[in-house]
Amino acid sequence: MKELTLEIVTPSKVSFRGMVKSITVPGTEGSFQVLFNHAPIISSLDIGVVKIVDTEGNEKKYSCSGGTVEVLKNQILLLAESFESKDEIDVDRAKDALNRAKKRLSRKNEEEVDLTRAEASLQRAVNRLKLTGNAKFM
Amino acid sequence: MATLRDIKRRIVGVKNTQQITKAMKMVAAARLRKAQENMINARPYSRKISEMLTSLLKVETHFNHPLLEEREVKRIALVVVTSDRGLCGGFNMNAIKTALDLMQDEYLTYLRDGNLDLYCIGKKANDFFKQKEYEIRESHLGVFGSDLNYEFAASFINSVRERFENGEIDKVVIVFNEFRSVVQQTIITKQLLPVLPDKSDTLEEENLNVEYIYEPDKTKIIGTLIPKYLNAQMWHALLESYAAELGARMTAMDMATENAKEMIRSLQLTYNKERQAAITTEILEIVGGANALKEG
Repeated sequence: MKELTLEIVTPSKVSFRGMVKSITVPGTEGSFQVLFNHAPIISSLDIGVVKIVDTEGNEKKYSCSGGTVEVLKNQILLLAESFESKDEIDVDRAKDALNRAKKRLSRKNEEEVDLTRAEASLQRAVNRLKLTGNAKFM
Repeated sequence: MATLRDIKRRIVGVKNTQQITKAMKMVAAARLRKAQENMINARPYSRKISEMLTSLLKVETHFNHPLLEEREVKRIALVVVTSDRGLCGGFNMNAIKTALDLMQDEYLTYLRDGNLDLYCIGKKANDFFKQKEYEIRESHLGVFGSDLNYEFAASFINSVRERFENGEIDKVVIVFNEFRSVVQQTIITKQLLPVLPDKSDTLEEENLNVEYIYEPDKTKIIGTLIPKYLNAQMWHALLESYAAELGARMTAMDMATENAKEMIRSLQLTYNKERQAAITTEILEIVGGANALKEG
């Protein structure tokens, strides 16, 4: 059985616990896939899409807004600030966040805007909307 | 002496109050269950993140991060977590008093020189310190309730962290109620910044010898973990405080209901005695009157 134990933990709950065939995570140095017998690794994650292939070979996508992943002895621990499947994403809220971030960024010359924070929230919103197929709003 | 009607009116009044306290107790109990659930759900995250940070710091001993560095304290920030609403026994006063003791004792010099930033979370702390004319740096009201969320905890502590990084403040301490059990809350005073990683040795030693691949590198990973650890700690404090508030309210309202019950009982007794006495007097009067008629 070439399967890995995966545990995904967010501040509000344990989002996922079970066996998987592989997982693809948005690492800071680039997206990478973890398969059976992957070398021990600790990596920080960017905002992006997490792809999980379950034991039956079905692929499922989730949005993740940054975190850390640890792989050791075929056990994966993913600590994510937020982790949502397509159905869990609140599209309206993401759209609002997108517009707010855009507005803030457009005003960056006029007043003091926290650029890093505005950009991060823009990225998070874009990531969520992309996953739900609402890219046309961007 | 109180007339029968007065006593009756009082009984009705106490009964009405009892109904309110009973309802409040039920509401608090229902919310407490949810709050406790949230607390338990949040536990794995903060535990794992603290484990990861501790083990990384063990591997990388010669490591200096601005958020870990102890420096001379010129300006201090105190975060007081209370509730927005009252009727929860000594819950708020305990937290406020602990904060006040700190300010009047350990941090007195900072307070006197105006080098103490007070952050109030919850209306009660805000009201108290405002009334006593302390200078409040920031107040956050309406945080608790069903919309208590991680985003608030993160954005609040991030803004505090930025001030720490800019050297505006050199130490951050939080005072909050910890949920021990439904009937028991303990006041916790904890240093948030500089970060004091968990020193407990619960880690498996064997994992320390594993050669990990670090992406991007150890120091950068630790650099991203520390703010997250801080967020998790703040989130934990808010969840604990909310559960403790509901527990305290439940206990206080339970006691109030019990007291009302006792009061009604004693009032009812007085009422019955009075009524009995009135009837006896009436009978005596009638008999006396009848006898007088017979004799006449």
